[in-house]
Amino acid sequence: MDSEARKVVEIGYGGNERLIMNMGPQHPSAHGVFRALLVLEGETVVGVDTVIGYLHRCHEKLGETLTYVQYPSIASKTDYVAAMTSELAYVSAVEKVGKFEVPRRAQHLRVLVAELQRIASHCLWLGTWCLDMGGALGGGATVFLYCMRERETILDLFESLTGARLLYGFHQIGGTRYDLPAGWVDKARRTVDVVEQRLGEYEAMLEDNAFFLVRTQGVGVVSRELAEDVGISGPLIRGSGVEYDVRRAEPYSSYGEFDFKVPVETAGDCYARYRVRMQEFRESIKIVRQVLDGLPEGPISSRPGVKSVGQVRVPKGEGYARVEGARGEVGCYVISDGGPRPYRMKWRGASFSNLAILPHIIPGHKVADVVAIMGSVDPVFGEVDR
Amino acid sequence: MSVAPVVSMFVAAFILLNAIVGVVTYITLLERKFAARMQSRIGPYYVGWPHGWLQPIADAIKLMIKEDVVPTPADRVVYNLAPLVFLVPCMLIFATIPFAPGLGLADLNIGVLFFLAVSALEIVGLFMGGWGSNNKYALLSAMRAVNQIISYDLPFIFAALVPVLLTGSMQMSAIVNAQQGGAGWFVLYPVIGQLAFLAYLIAALAAENRVPFDILEAESELVAGFRVEYSGMKFALIQLGEYAHMLGTSFLGALLFLGGWLGPGPAWLGPIWFLVKAVFVFLVLTWVRWSFVRIRVDQILAISWKLLLPATVVLLLVTGFVVAAGGGRGL
Amino acid sequence: MASNGTAATGFWGELWQLTRAVSRAMGVTFRNLFRRPVTVMYPDTSRPYPDRFRGVLALVYEKDTGQEACIGCRLCEYICPPQVIKVEMLKAEKRNFAKTFTLELYACEFCELCVQVCPTDAIIMLKTFDLATSDRREMLLDKDRLHWLGCAFPPSWATGNKLRDMQAPPKAARAESKEGKA
Repeated sequence: MDSEARKVVEIGYGGNERLIMNMGPQHPSAHGVFRALLVLEGETVVGVDTVIGYLHRCHEKLGETLTYVQYPSIASKTDYVAAMTSELAYVSAVEKVGKFEVPRRAQHLRVLVAELQRIASHCLWLGTWCLDMGGALGGGATVFLYCMRERETILDLFESLTGARLLYGFHQIGGTRYDLPAGWVDKARRTVDVVEQRLGEYEAMLEDNAFFLVRTQGVGVVSRELAEDVGISGPLIRGSGVEYDVRRAEPYSSYGEFDFKVPVETAGDCYARYRVRMQEFRESIKIVRQVLDGLPEGPISSRPGVKSVGQVRVPKGEGYARVEGARGEVGCYVISDGGPRPYRMKWRGASFSNLAILPHIIPGHKVADVVAIMGSVDPVFGEVDR
Repeated sequence: MSVAPVVSMFVAAFILLNAIVGVVTYITLLERKFAARMQSRIGPYYVGWPHGWLQPIADAIKLMIKEDVVPTPADRVVYNLAPLVFLVPCMLIFATIPFAPGLGLADLNIGVLFFLAVSALEIVGLFMGGWGSNNKYALLSAMRAVNQIISYDLPFIFAALVPVLLTGSMQMSAIVNAQQGGAGWFVLYPVIGQLAFLAYLIAALAAENRVPFDILEAESELVAGFRVEYSGMKFALIQLGEYAHMLGTSFLGALLFLGGWLGPGPAWLGPIWFLVKAVFVFLVLTWVRWSFVRIRVDQILAISWKLLLPATVVLLLVTGFVVAAGGGRGL
Repeated sequence: MASNGTAATGFWGELWQLTRAVSRAMGVTFRNLFRRPVTVMYPDTSRPYPDRFRGVLALVYEKDTGQEACIGCRLCEYICPPQVIKVEMLKAEKRNFAKTFTLELYACEFCELCVQVCPTDAIIMLKTFDLATSDRREMLLDKDRLHWLGCAFPPSWATGNKLRDMQAPPKAARAESKEGKA
C-alpha cells in the first residue's frame, strides 16, 4: 500500500536531510498539467504525492447537457492524443444501451482509424519520452522530431479523411460520419510503409544504446502482483506479464476478424513497456494492412445523417463499453432515461487509473528516473481530469 | 614613439576578446543549423534572410534589453556576481592559446597547465549561481554540477597530458611544433593518440555539461538547472561563458591532437586551419550531443570513476613508458 | 556498468557493443543530415489543403438567385456544442431570412456539425484558417463578415447535403430525393 509514502509526505519537512520539491503543473516533462510533490533525500525520492485536476473541464456534466448527436465531437477531447478511441468508447456505450446496429463497413473503418490513431499516439509517446529523458536540446529532441515527422504523415491521412488533424468528430451513433475519399487507401498504404521503415531507424538509435538502456532497464519495475492489484491497463500491465487487452478480452467492432498478436513482456520495467509499445506499432500496422485489403462496401451508418440535435433517442437503460485506447482501457458508462441526452455519463479514463501506480514505483529512485517513469506510464491529462 | 607594453597588451587583449565573442555568437548559429539539419528541419532562417545570419545578433539584442529580475529571497551579492565569476575563467583560457606561431596573447611555458587550471574555475561561478538563486531546482543542479565537473576534470587533465608527455613541454606552441611532418598529428600517433583523443572528447563532453552528460541543465527535469532564475544580460553572460568554454576546449583539442595551425598552404593560412579544426571538433561534440539521451547522475559518476579515470591513468603511464623508450617527439 | 539488451561477454564485449550502438545512433543522425528538411516555409508557401479541410466558417449565397442562402431556421444554433451561433429569423413572403447571424469564432470547435445540419447548404467551412488577429472582437463574426469570408476564400468540399448523404445509408427514396434537389 502507499500508506508509507503518504505518511512520509504528511510528516512535512521530515528533518534536515529531506527536501520537498514541487514538480509543478508547469513543467516541461509533466506530460500535461500534473503536480507531483517529491520528497527528496539527496537525489533519492522517498515519497511522492500527486495532485491532479488542473485540466478538469466537466466532461461528465457536458455529457448530460449535450445530446447524443453533439457529444461525440466533444468526446475526442478526453484523450486528445488518441481522439479516435475516445470517441469510440462513448459511441459504443450508447450503441450498447440503445441496441443500435453498426454496418460492417463502419466497423472496419472504426478499426482502421483506431489502429492508425494508436500508431500516431505511440509516435507521440516515443518522441516525448525521449525528449524528457534526453533534454529539449539534446538527443531526445532528435528522436522527438523524427517521431513527429512520422506522426504528421498519419495526421495528414486523417486530415484528408475528416478535415481535422487532432480532434475529429469522426464517429456518430450508428456508424461513422465520413467515408473514405478517393485515393485514400493507396495513400494509407504508402504512409504505413514509410512508418514501418522509419521505425527500424528509431530502434537502431535506441535499442542497443547503452545510454538508453541504463536509463530504462530496472527502472520503475511493476511486479505482476502489483499490476493486478492496482488496476492499471494497457501497455503498463502488458509490460508486467499480464496478457490483458480489451481487443482480445471483449472484442468490439470487428476486431475478432483480424489476426494480430498482443505483445507481452515480463520484466515490468520501463524497457519492457517500451518493447511492448514498439511491438504494438508493428501489430497495428499489420491490422491496418488487413483492413485496407478487405474493406467491404456498404453504408457507413445505420442511422440517417445528422439533421437535428435531438435526432437520436435512446430507450431507457444503462450500459458500459470499453475500448483499448493507446494508454489502456478507456470505458464509458451511460445511463439513459429515454430522451435525447444521457441521464448520466461516466468516463473511465485509462490514464487516471494508470497514475495510481506512481506512489508505488517512484520511491527509491532518483529524480532523473521520475521523468523516465512518467514517460513510460504515458498519461494524458485530458483523460485523467476529464 | 614606442608604445608601452601595457598599452599594447591591453589593445591585443581587447581585440582578442571581441574576436572570441564574435566567433562564439556565430558558433551558436552554426550549432543550431547543424542540429536542425540532423532533425529534418531548417533552423534559423528569416532573421537575416536567408539562413539566419542575423539571428545571433537579434538574440544578443533581445537579451540586452530584457528586464533584470532578481528574485526576492535570493542572496543578491552571490546571485549578481555568479555570471561574472562564471564568465571570466571561460574567457581567460583564450589568452594562452596561440593562433599562429607568435600570434598568441600569452604563450606561457606552462600554457596547458594554466588552461586546465583556469577552466576548472568556472565551477565556482556555477555553484554561486545555483546557491544564490534560492531555488531548489537550481540548488539540485548546482550540486550535481560540482559532482560531475570535479569527477571529469581528472580524466580531462590526464587525457590532455598525453600530448604534453609526448612533446616534453607544456608550452602550446611547442606542442604544435612537435606535430610537424606528414603524419605528425598526435591523433595519428599509433594507439595512444587515438585513445587519448577519444578520452579527451568524452571528458570534454562531461566537463562542459553536454548531452549525454548534461544532467546539470537537464531541461526536462530541472528546467535549465542553475540558470533557471537568470534572465536578460546575466543569462547572456552565462550562455556566453558556456559556449566560450566549449569553443576553448575545442581549440585546445585541435591544438593538442589535430596539429593546431599546421596545414598545407602558406603560413598566413595557419589561423584559418586552426579555426577549421576547432570547429570540426566542436561539430563532432555537437553531433554526439544531438544523438543521445542523457544518463543519470550516478551513472555518469560511475563512468567517470570506474571507467574513464583508470583508463586515462593507464594511458598516461603507457605514454610515459613509450616516451622513456624514446618514442616522444620532445624538443 | 552498462547493461545491454543482449548479453555481452566481459569488458571487451561490452565495449564493442557500446561502440557499435554509438556508431549506429550517430549514423542515423548523420544520414538525416543529408535528407531534405520537411519544413514548409509557411507564409511564403502554403501547404496544400485537402478537400475536406475544416477551416473558418462562412455563409454563402444561392447560386441561381444570388440571394442569401440562409433561411434563419436556427438548426445550426441548436446543434452547436459550445453554442457559439446566434441567429434571429426574419420572416418574409416567399422564404425566410436571417435577420442577424453571429458566430463566435474564438470559441468555435470546428466540429462541422453546423455545416452538416444546414438544410440549404448556407453555412460552409473554408480552406483557410488564417484569421489571426490582435483584437478578439474581430473574431466575433457577424453576418456581413461571414458573407465576405464566403466570397474571399475557397470553400471546402463539405456542404450540408453532401455530408448527410455521405453518412446516411443509400436507399431508393433518398436517391430520388437527391436527384430532386440537384
